Amino acid sequence: MRTAARRRDVMLSLVGAVGVVALWEAVARSGVVSPAIFPPPTTALAGSLQRIPAVELAEHVLASLGRIAWGFGLGAGLGILLGIALGWYRWLAALGQPVIELIRPIPPLAWIPMAIVWFGLGEPSKVFVIFLGAFFPVFTSAHKGMTGIDPLLLRAAQTMGLGGPRLLFQVAIPAAMPDLATGIRVGWGLSFAVVIAAELIAADRGMGFMIMRAREFGDVGVIIFGILLIGATNLVTDSAIGEAIRRRVGRWHAV
Amino acid sequence: MKRSGPLSPDRLLGLGFVAALLVTWEAASRLGWLAPFSFPAPSRLGSTLWELTIDGFPQGIRIGTHVGITLARIAQGYALAVALAVPLGLVIGWLPVLDRLALPLVTFGRSVATLSLLPLAIAWFGVGELAKVLLIAYGCFWVLLTNVIAGVKYIDPVLIRAARTLETGPAGIFVRVALPAALPRAFAGLRVALGVGFMVIVGVEMVGTIQGLGALILEARTYFRSDVSLVGMAVIGLFGFAAAAALERLERRLLPWHTGLESVRR
Repeated sequence: MRTAARRRDVMLSLVGAVGVVALWEAVARSGVVSPAIFPPPTTALAGSLQRIPAVELAEHVLASLGRIAWGFGLGAGLGILLGIALGWYRWLAALGQPVIELIRPIPPLAWIPMAIVWFGLGEPSKVFVIFLGAFFPVFTSAHKGMTGIDPLLLRAAQTMGLGGPRLLFQVAIPAAMPDLATGIRVGWGLSFAVVIAAELIAADRGMGFMIMRAREFGDVGVIIFGILLIGATNLVTDSAIGEAIRRRVGRWHAV
Repeated sequence: MKRSGPLSPDRLLGLGFVAALLVTWEAASRLGWLAPFSFPAPSRLGSTLWELTIDGFPQGIRIGTHVGITLARIAQGYALAVALAVPLGLVIGWLPVLDRLALPLVTFGRSVATLSLLPLAIAWFGVGELAKVLLIAYGCFWVLLTNVIAGVKYIDPVLIRAARTLETGPAGIFVRVALPAALPRAFAGLRVALGVGFMVIVGVEMVGTIQGLGALILEARTYFRSDVSLVGMAVIGLFGFAAAAALERLERRLLPWHTGLESVRR
């Protein structure tokens, strides 16, 4: 019975996905709008693969992912570190929290001009902006996870003689993990949004650059292909991270 | 001992630290340790804010105009997203078949980076206001939709069964049980969507405009006015913060029984 319901759900999702693509194809082929402005998906895909060699395509994807890896790695790393430290030591929170709260509302993209002033037009400025995009959600959720731990849990551990670093690493941090995991996924999504925007402004490779260049050529097919490619890359990497987290943090907790 | 009041020791320590940082920054600038272009002194930023208020930048556009235009663009896009996502989300969340059908589209739609649509929006609608408002609406739409769907879908079944026991009809259940129960999630979506709006606006104001805070921040670069960029960042941060605070107040006012629910992912 359950498997039948599941199979039905999967079928419905499949129908939904195919339906959207088919509808798009049909409308685009009907000739209501010029195919130069609104190409059918098959034409956009075939045309793009013909115009952009596979090696170049892989280069764009890897360039974007490489930038995210650096920015996200640094941002999430520092976010986890500071989130845990400020969540654990009250004096550190009193000191650091106001500074972070003052900077946090500034949208990451608004940092782009200053990033260029500080780090030049090359890779470091992009990595810096992605770093900011990843840092704040990860920091916030790590901090929230640490301050939201059930005090009973900590007191119980203390009663059993646990204290200092062992209390932090064996009880507090594991208890904060679910919140941390949420922050990591939000941070990843934001890193993705930021890298594309940064590449639209100033880059010589990457998926954002690819679609911005296609716009200069007026090639809507490649733009649409690029948008779908960016969406698919985001979806695949996000699911992979979600899966990895589920395996580590535990299946009982929905992330 | 009170730890979180407006003048608690913790709070004073934090404010003192911020003040100390600003003083150090100012002193380091005066002593010539910090390059004025890379790190304009706080006092310089103060006079820049004055300049933006009185004379305006670029081409005499005053800061008030930039703020007004940016907020208007965000408000239009946000309103459009709310108007579309709330009714759609309610229907999709209420009908399991529709939810299943829409799942791939919703999942993919929210995976698409909003600003990757910028080149397409320009190709379709030009560099005018429409493209900007639509992009903000797109970004806000998917987080809102996901949250409204989840709000309706994950209503405690006990509530619905209880309403049935009290002989409430399907329409009555929808309006009097499902809708209020979905509100906390919907508000979580509204909060996240507001953040998305403030994030996307900076990106969309990169092209085809010299009005708006995003345009101000980015345009200042071509004039080598890092001080103007920094003031613009502070102003957009301030308004982003104020908007989020206002929404939170509204939420506490409307939903006194349930606040602070996290946004969902799916």
